[in-house]
Amino acid sequence: MTPPVSAVNAGTFNAGLLAIARLQKSFGDRTLLNIVDLQLNSGTIYALTGDNGAGKSTLLRILAGLEPADVLRGDFESEPIDGADYAQALRREIIYVHQHPYLFNTSIAANIEYGLKMRRVDSQTRHSLAQEAIRWAGLQHVADIAPKRLSGGEKQKVALARAKVLNPRLLLVDEPTANLDRAARQQIIALLRRTASSNNCVVVACHDREIIDLPGVARLHLEAGKISV
Amino acid sequence: MDLTTATVEAFRLLFTFEPQLWGVIWVSLRVSLLALLIAAPLAIMLGFLLATVPFHGRRAAVIVLQSFLSFPTVVVGLVLYVLLARSGPLGSLGLLYTQEAMILGQAVIAFPVLAAFTLAAVQGADRIVRETALSLGATRSRAALTTLFEVRFAVMAGLFNGFGRVISEVGCAMMVGGNIAGLTRNIPTAISLETAKGEFAQGIALGFVLIVLALGINASLNYFQGEGGMK
Amino acid sequence: MRVVSKILNATFACCFSTLVVLGHAQSSEAKKPDAEIRLATTTSTEASGLLGVILPLFERDSGIRVRVISVGTGQALKLGERGDVDIVLVHSRPDEDRFMAAGFGSVRFDVMYNDFIIVGPQSDPAKLRGLPSASGALKAIAGANLRSPTPPIAKFISRGDDSGTHKKELALWSDVGIVPKDIKSKPWYIDAGQGMGEVLAMAGNLQAYTLSDRGTFNAYKNRVGLDVIVSEVPGLFNPYGIMPVNPAKHPHTKHEAALKFANWIVSPAGRAAILSLKVEGQSLFTPGVPPIK
Repeated sequence: MTPPVSAVNAGTFNAGLLAIARLQKSFGDRTLLNIVDLQLNSGTIYALTGDNGAGKSTLLRILAGLEPADVLRGDFESEPIDGADYAQALRREIIYVHQHPYLFNTSIAANIEYGLKMRRVDSQTRHSLAQEAIRWAGLQHVADIAPKRLSGGEKQKVALARAKVLNPRLLLVDEPTANLDRAARQQIIALLRRTASSNNCVVVACHDREIIDLPGVARLHLEAGKISV
Repeated sequence: MDLTTATVEAFRLLFTFEPQLWGVIWVSLRVSLLALLIAAPLAIMLGFLLATVPFHGRRAAVIVLQSFLSFPTVVVGLVLYVLLARSGPLGSLGLLYTQEAMILGQAVIAFPVLAAFTLAAVQGADRIVRETALSLGATRSRAALTTLFEVRFAVMAGLFNGFGRVISEVGCAMMVGGNIAGLTRNIPTAISLETAKGEFAQGIALGFVLIVLALGINASLNYFQGEGGMK
Repeated sequence: MRVVSKILNATFACCFSTLVVLGHAQSSEAKKPDAEIRLATTTSTEASGLLGVILPLFERDSGIRVRVISVGTGQALKLGERGDVDIVLVHSRPDEDRFMAAGFGSVRFDVMYNDFIIVGPQSDPAKLRGLPSASGALKAIAGANLRSPTPPIAKFISRGDDSGTHKKELALWSDVGIVPKDIKSKPWYIDAGQGMGEVLAMAGNLQAYTLSDRGTFNAYKNRVGLDVIVSEVPGLFNPYGIMPVNPAKHPHTKHEAALKFANWIVSPAGRAAILSLKVEGQSLFTPGVPPIK
């Protein structure tokens, strides 16, 4: 196992963020995930590849604390974690974005402000952060449209903006570019890069070569329950 | 009196604001709206808990709730009557033949409708709603509230549906209200009385009001759902 | 399996042939065109069990089937006026006279009478017991409440449904110069708009007075906790009349069969049938015309 390096200093690029000693998940007799020694560093984008059904979504959901693992041991920023309180302890550090993100049936701004509200940020700050995030995601031209009427790519951008305002240490994104046209794909990729560049870790489950082949993107390949780098 | 004259007379009664007729309409609205107001918070909470909190016997509870949907209103009336009658266990409250008794009865009738609609709405909401809220940092109970808010139009449909059921029910209102003029006579019991008397104009006028109410309810529901449900 | 299906087949065949035979028997019996008439009558005749006793006898004697629509007197007469029924049996003499005068009925017979009673709580708060007339008793109720308006010491429940009993009650009030609008808004006067049975139950629950026919009260008295307070005084008799719908107004009605029923119900056979309906040894209805008005 690689020990997490200089995790205390969060300002350092490529510092170890999450070190997983062991992660196991079975469905009945079938062992879906059996991962040992996986390290994720800040400031890095990881492309998580693998066949359909290999367990990419399950891995992301476990890391997001949305699904329990059978075994989960490791460190997050040098603090030991374990399966039982993982979700509780890290929910506010980690955000998971679904493949088809759900936007609350309110407004785009309210969607972006939701997480801030949960963190009891005052409304003035929320408002300005949301406006900034709308500009960040290039959503100004659709800002007044009901979320339900946005295109797939626009929804994805709102979801990323909604995550970005919370400045998560670890952003888990599930197939963000599937079924999107080329222009939208490129915009999403740009947003992911910007997120990682502010010293956060981004893990993207995808088949998209445009992401995998990007310079500086680390590859995690999931096969037979194991990760190969 | 043939249908045309009865209908013309009905409109005359309505638009001259014949006080007895409008008194009956007022009783109906007051009783039904208060009944919903009483039933809604508890029913929505129950429907929501049934949809979200797993416990032993939940399936059975859901089945019971759903079968209460088709519970005959006269049976609700009968049970309440037996409870509230002078010789019944709650007879000393003196509630029989009062609006309060009608409100109670209609609240009982509306309850399963509201609970079942909430249950179906919350169950129908994608798991993703709750997960999104949780992932963005909501607590469990906050995520639950968010889910309920996201299905608010379906819950509202339940409210309108419950209103439609209680405003038009005659069995329970007749039994526990007693159809007393000026006190507990509402639209359905008045229609049933006017028809028994052969006074079709009053009956048609009241029937017309019920239909207009139903139309109004459906139109506003459509409007609200349109606002929230537009693709 | 085969045995079972054979038995089933045999059973089916048996049932089927029985049905066919029965069907034939019925259709050969019911050969007359006027074999079914529609009777509009008040709830009191149906609820008291009278029709259940006399109609099978008439149907057996005549082969005419009587379909009953039991409603309030007001609606029963309206059904007759519109020709929706072939014959009406009601109890509101002034209305019956108007019905005849307007030519809606072909003939009218006095059938029977029963008596109304004023029932109320045993304590008789308005002190009606022993009063010599029905309208005097009602006046005493109004008077008692005048002395002590809130809370009313003597509630009165009105049928309020345009039934014969309701009309009787209004007639009694008007005998002592009280018109509906004088009392309608009074807290002691409860306008229930329901049938006799429901009103008796309500009177029991509220410990109020009401006007009832004796037949229905006898059927309910053990359950409602009310006493007979005033009875067998002038103003409380309740005569029933029967009127076939006039074929001159409504040619499609089955006048011949309707007239047969009217004639039968006042014949010795019909009178005996009416007398045979008894509750606790007492006939509910007496054939003929009441002794005092």
